[in-house]
Amino acid sequence: MVLRLGIFLLAALISTAGSAKEVYTLKFATLIPSGTSWTKVLDDWIEEIETKSDGRIKVKMYPGGIMGDEPDVIRKMRKGQLHGGLFTGYGIGRIYSPARVLEIPFLFRDTDESDYVRDKLMPEIEAGFRDSGFELLGWPEVGFIHFFSKHRIDSLEDIKKSRIWLWQGDPLGEAFFSASGVSPVPLSIIDVYTQLSAAHGSIDTVYASPFGAIALQWHTQLKYGTKVPLTNAIGGLIISGRFFNKLPADLQQLLKTTGKIASDKIRQYAREENTKSIDILRDQGMEFLWTQDEVVFKKLIEIRDKAAKHLVESNYIPKDLFDRVRAALVEIRPPENTNSISLTH
Amino acid sequence: MDSRLGLLATLLSLTLLSACSMDQMLVRASLPMIEGGVTALNTETDLELAEDSIPTNIELLEGMITIDPTNEELHTYAAQAYYGLAYGFNEDYKPVRAGKFYVRGLKHGLAALQEKGMENALNGSLEKLQKELQSMDEDDLGALFWTASNWAKWIDMNRDKPEGIAQLPRATALMQRVLEIDDTYYHGGAHMYFGVYYGARSPMFGGDFKKARYHFDRAREITDGKLLVPDLLQAQYLARQEFDLEDFHNRLTRIIEAPDDLYPELGLLNAVTKRKARLLLNKEQKWF
Repeated sequence: MVLRLGIFLLAALISTAGSAKEVYTLKFATLIPSGTSWTKVLDDWIEEIETKSDGRIKVKMYPGGIMGDEPDVIRKMRKGQLHGGLFTGYGIGRIYSPARVLEIPFLFRDTDESDYVRDKLMPEIEAGFRDSGFELLGWPEVGFIHFFSKHRIDSLEDIKKSRIWLWQGDPLGEAFFSASGVSPVPLSIIDVYTQLSAAHGSIDTVYASPFGAIALQWHTQLKYGTKVPLTNAIGGLIISGRFFNKLPADLQQLLKTTGKIASDKIRQYAREENTKSIDILRDQGMEFLWTQDEVVFKKLIEIRDKAAKHLVESNYIPKDLFDRVRAALVEIRPPENTNSISLTH
Repeated sequence: MDSRLGLLATLLSLTLLSACSMDQMLVRASLPMIEGGVTALNTETDLELAEDSIPTNIELLEGMITIDPTNEELHTYAAQAYYGLAYGFNEDYKPVRAGKFYVRGLKHGLAALQEKGMENALNGSLEKLQKELQSMDEDDLGALFWTASNWAKWIDMNRDKPEGIAQLPRATALMQRVLEIDDTYYHGGAHMYFGVYYGARSPMFGGDFKKARYHFDRAREITDGKLLVPDLLQAQYLARQEFDLEDFHNRLTRIIEAPDDLYPELGLLNAVTKRKARLLLNKEQKWF
């Protein structure tokens, strides 16, 4: 009798355990402030996954850099204190640096080219993230990066004469400036506004997307921008592998599917906002300069290849990956233009 | 015949002109009543009664502005009234409606500034605006303060619009001038603006938590700690940005527990603040 009662109790316990749903709390951080179009997309995404998971995934969102700069967030993700984030190339480089091949300066002519190459590389980039302990859900985009300055920038010589900010600890930026013969001023992004606005600040030139220049309020200190962008800056919607791997298959799939759609939406918004931002900056009196001829193009391609060589040598970006990107460009570009860079929006 | 017609036309136009002037004179004569009404409304602690009476007052103001469209004082009162209606009674429940009221308040504020001779508030370079602001003095505080307040709120509610974010330095330039002319104006309102300005953003986006704390402290000092809104804003923006749950919780709890008659002169704002504090406390689990 006692035995039967024990079996009954055990069965009841098992049954209760089976019916109780396990809830996974996803703590998600980004530098992007709340209320922006990007975080609005993320808010919708969060609502969607909470609803579609039937409450099995709960998300806590920390926008606006509350959890620190991107390296801080990555460190917290590795420790399991945070589980997800929306990152720029700066953060992505600390997770899986080869993905930054897509950010090598003067590589893509337009978004058709960057979209084509990205889609082609995406399976191996996703695998690279997975091997590094992270799951890549989607690929939003910061957008085309321009130089902005207090002074006229109408030539490479003007760039060399400028006191240019370098995002401290960014190997890609370092390689580019080194190849250009420019001595940049390394600063945390946190100090850029202060230095730009100080009477005798250490910098007078920065690089950012047009929308970024407005969002960071740097535009108030700057009068000129370059017409030709440096690069198309990447972004990633990323979850820690530790969190992702403990999810049941259906929830993993839910995150993958919805994360990709949200990222695509952000990419679309970023492109629209950057285009609009150039108009706004022009309306506010900013001049966009530096019309580049073939001679300058050739020089910039040399700089690009020199920077890429340095990044390959330092194992930041594998050589074969860079070669495959260039080969992919040949596929969609008329042969005579393989190296050209008339980047336009 | 022609000369008689001409005389008639002159007489008619003079009559119309004087009728118009009479209306304007009446409107101007009733300005002290408006001021008295604002003072009385500020002491109202029954939120429902206050909410019901603001739209009537706004309609009255709009009517008076129709009669006297160049009256800068009326435009300033209207800017203040729309701000109050949006912040106190709509922002937390009907944000889209609140956004529209902030725009209306902003338009009135800009109209007041225009009447005062400002040409670069909305357009022109920031440098020109800053230069123009140097000629503004004590008489312009109301127009500057309420224009900047409505403007910044509209920008904050439209962070997804680059054109909005790009205007923030202009609103801030106006409020900076308020700070320079008289930092105690409207109970240290400019300090509350800069407390939020520096506290609501990470340092990367121009935030400065030390400066934010200074401005909130100064706002409390100006009102002898009797006005609750500096604590509310410090919890809502700075404590959240610093991820300081304890500070967030303690400030909001103190607001809720504060006596209802702490600051009778601004009883309405304190009552609104208490209601907002309760709403914010509900977000504690989500935010931290």
